[in-house]
Amino acid sequence: MRRRAGLGAIQKQKLEQEKYKDKGNEIQENQFEQMTKQLEVFKINLEEFATKHKNEIRKNPEFRKQFQEMCASIGVDPLSSGKGFWSVLGIGDFYYELAVQIVEVCLATNYKNGGLIGLDELRTRLIKARGQSKQHQEISKDDLIRAAQKLKIFGSGFNVVPMGKGKYMVQSVPGELSMDHSAILQQAEKNQAFVSVSYLRRELSWEMERSQKALEHMVNQGLAWVDLQNPQEKLYYFPSLFTACVNASS
Amino acid sequence: MSEVDIEWPWQYSFPPFFTLQPHPETRSKQVTAWKSLILTYCQKTKTYVIDVREASQFPVFNNAAINRKLEHSVIVSILCELQKHGNAAPLDKAKNRWEIYWHTLEEWASMVYEFVSNRGMQNTVVTLYELAHGEDTREEEFHGIQQEVFVKALRVLERERKCEVIMDDDMQGVKFF
Repeated sequence: MRRRAGLGAIQKQKLEQEKYKDKGNEIQENQFEQMTKQLEVFKINLEEFATKHKNEIRKNPEFRKQFQEMCASIGVDPLSSGKGFWSVLGIGDFYYELAVQIVEVCLATNYKNGGLIGLDELRTRLIKARGQSKQHQEISKDDLIRAAQKLKIFGSGFNVVPMGKGKYMVQSVPGELSMDHSAILQQAEKNQAFVSVSYLRRELSWEMERSQKALEHMVNQGLAWVDLQNPQEKLYYFPSLFTACVNASS
Repeated sequence: MSEVDIEWPWQYSFPPFFTLQPHPETRSKQVTAWKSLILTYCQKTKTYVIDVREASQFPVFNNAAINRKLEHSVIVSILCELQKHGNAAPLDKAKNRWEIYWHTLEEWASMVYEFVSNRGMQNTVVTLYELAHGEDTREEEFHGIQQEVFVKALRVLERERKCEVIMDDDMQGVKFF
């Protein structure tokens, strides 16, 4: 006859289980402690690095870009955190300040470009507006794109429109610009700031309806002006790409 | 077309500037720019009267370099806008001939009155010619002002009882108080 499991065996099993659990907890705690320590070290190192190179990061746009990329690769966004050890750097502040200045330039030029501005013009005007005192701090286009992208959080009001070949435009009025619209801007950019339905047919093989729809949309957004005095056909001009407008002092 | 020594704004070389824009916001920017361009142009060229029927004679409305002209009806509508702020007035019912005031009549009036007061010329009679073309006013903004506009400005002062305009056949003068 098989012996039935006694009370002692059950208790023994229970005891073993508890021991295992304790051991597990111990290991977990150990790991956690180690990770905390590592994190602490990492944080200290990063802080040290940031403090040590604070000036370079602030001054040198190339360095700043690399630092940003480094942060991005380890999943840290120095821009999103204004408190904690990142504030030592003031790097967030740097971009916030830029963002505010971008808004200012966009508003100031809205009356002529309808709220669309090339990154080059934006940079020129922004640097001019920052004045002499900030001259030591060079602003790169990369900085501007980063700062402008931060403005997206305010909704569809701000947008960075890629134009290809490393060119960008910053849109500061609400209204989505589709791929078609950026394609039109790219065409206008290499054609003295204007396009037409037949031009788009020639360059992009677009149907008349597609071109018309996209162009009218841009007119209704205040981004394009129409010229009815061309003998052949209606032309659509973009002041934001028109050299004389871009260079105008006022 | 005469050569004009004026610094044209960027819009002047922007072809669609010469087509009235369909989008309301863009149009309002366009009209504002036109208003200021017309006033600057008239001031620089001392143009006191514009006949809209001959607008293409004025380089401001006709940019030959880009082959763009501002249409008759658009010019009239912009001049009407200028009229709202006292910067222009039609001389005929058909609104063909317009007087342009780059300084409003009130502004001209106060310039003249300030000059007269500073010189202590009250209670004496001066001829309009003396005031507008005399040696003494050479440095003044209103020097060379066209007679018709000048009289209108003086009428403003007259209504304020600051002067009396004397328009005799042989003598056009004004007495300031």
